[in-house]
Amino acid sequence: MSGPMLELDGVTKHYTTRRGVVRAVESVSLAVQPRSTMALVGESGCGKTTLARMILQLERPTAGAIRFEGQDVAAMRGAALQAYRREVMAVFQDPYSSLNPRLRVGTIIAEPVLAHERPSRAELDKRVAEVLDVVGLPATAARLYPHEFSGGQRQRIAIARALALRPRLMVLDEPVSALDVSIRAQILNLLADIQAEYGLTYLIIAHDLALVEHFSSDVAVIYLGCVAETGPTEQVFAQPRHPYTQALLAAVPLPDPDHVLSEAAALGEIASALDPPAGCRFHPRCPHAMDICRTTRPLAAGSPHITACHLPRTSLP
Amino acid sequence: MLLSVRNLQTHLHLRRGLLRAVDGVSLEVAEGETLGLVGESGSGKTMTGLSLLRLLPKGSGRIAGGSIQLDGQELTTLSEAQLARDIRGRRIAMIMQDPMTSLNPVFSIGDQVGSPLRNHDIARGTALRGAVVDVLRRVRLPSPGERLGDYPHQFSGGQRQRIVAAMAIGCTPRLLVADEPTTALDVTIQVQIINLLRTIQDDTGAGIILITHDLGVAASLCRRIAVMYAGQIVETGPVRAIYRSPSHPYTQALLAAIPRLGAKRGRLTAIAGQPPSLIDPPTGCRFAARCPSRMAKCAEAPPVVDLGDGHSASCWKLAS
Repeated sequence: MSGPMLELDGVTKHYTTRRGVVRAVESVSLAVQPRSTMALVGESGCGKTTLARMILQLERPTAGAIRFEGQDVAAMRGAALQAYRREVMAVFQDPYSSLNPRLRVGTIIAEPVLAHERPSRAELDKRVAEVLDVVGLPATAARLYPHEFSGGQRQRIAIARALALRPRLMVLDEPVSALDVSIRAQILNLLADIQAEYGLTYLIIAHDLALVEHFSSDVAVIYLGCVAETGPTEQVFAQPRHPYTQALLAAVPLPDPDHVLSEAAALGEIASALDPPAGCRFHPRCPHAMDICRTTRPLAAGSPHITACHLPRTSLP
Repeated sequence: MLLSVRNLQTHLHLRRGLLRAVDGVSLEVAEGETLGLVGESGSGKTMTGLSLLRLLPKGSGRIAGGSIQLDGQELTTLSEAQLARDIRGRRIAMIMQDPMTSLNPVFSIGDQVGSPLRNHDIARGTALRGAVVDVLRRVRLPSPGERLGDYPHQFSGGQRQRIVAAMAIGCTPRLLVADEPTTALDVTIQVQIINLLRTIQDDTGAGIILITHDLGVAASLCRRIAVMYAGQIVETGPVRAIYRSPSHPYTQALLAAIPRLGAKRGRLTAIAGQPPSLIDPPTGCRFAARCPSRMAKCAEAPPVVDLGDGHSASCWKLAS
């Protein structure tokens, strides 16, 4: 079938706390095409992990819908829900806390398989050996415990576990940020190879913009729960339209001693999601803020490069 | 020379064995200069920084050899009491990575920023409050006078790192050791702290050792770079030389392994394998097992090869 594999339509998540309502995610609409890699970028607390958790059905949206191949995920029951859970898998940031230290690697990888199928012992061992091979670990790794592996190897194990059920969509939540620079490249290359080989769709959460530019085909820049800008990665990075995207890109220190950093692009600090600014949520930090930005929420405009900003397109820097 | 470290050896006595965390590190920092100490986790960069202040893990950590001189004064032979009185927090101060754990949650920030000033007799009594407000103003904390009684949790991450910086610069130290000062921060806040460190240096003329794994942060702040691998410095030189003509295969591999903003998409050049254990490190070049230009000679310890203009690297390939 054609059309997006995953569609977010006005997805909103509010948490009621003693101190008030935390508006973690506010009316986010995005579409992820099959075999593409959509990156969610933004600073801590912007709601990108909450979005991922809703897609993984670890949280329910307060409003809006998440559709997987046209089907509303929230309405799924029984067999449909089971099927969804084997098609969507996750790899988390910290391979030290995402693997159970008391279980052998083979058991860790077999766990999701056994939740869905009843394979024979021999079949299961074969499956485990296969996915270990895909991630570049020997079959003997199955008998060892997580602590016997380095951080990079543990992340390979986490990827093997996610692959064991042959999912179609993988949610990668900061998959390399806990790893050292020289190991990151190994894991990113591995993820790219797996995607090409199995035709996977990726939703990656990352804060490293250079990594996002390198790794993703599409990007959504999120600020305080709202999508500021989204579109094909190449276009968004070559011609960022939203002042927040421009600020983010200007603030990235490059491995180049002649590059000059710009602080002026985003003044001050991120506001709280407990009491987000009215109008455009970025306006208190925006160097181009106008009166309308303080009162009215900007609508998303453009296609496929979408920007939510009041500045007329022509006057955008 | 403000700081001169020669052949520093720092050992950690662990149950698993003797870990040579820092194994023969030599470096220099001039007044008003920023030296970037870059490397991956476990390369010994933090242990090098902690050795300068003798803040090694209690019981297990020990400086086993070498010399550390600040303004010509040898620090390794000082008693703990002398070090605490004259050096630590006074002439060498440290900014740690995580502002949440380097601030005490149960003391007000006024207390915490004031405590080094009190301990080192910089200001006391009625003058203390003014001195604290002054140093908080220097780190650009908004309305410092009204916030002295506030506690760390009432500040944002970026503000907390400003407070940590204020604690460090209160006694106008000669040398600042900043260990991953921006790693816990978001990128738009990170750039503010990078600029703050630059301002502090312009104002005080302090030397800075910036410990970081982020080659972008190092490039934006440092005049010279020392690249550490497995407890040793493998290459050192002016920042341009390191980024434009990296000479050690590890430095080259590291720069090739990071995705760059604005660069063409393509496969990243990964470094195969992992760093060696420092409990029983290989004799000879420690990078040899992962090195694409490995030769038979690499089984012996490589010489430091002078490449001119203060640029040098330890590699057999460059010696021949």
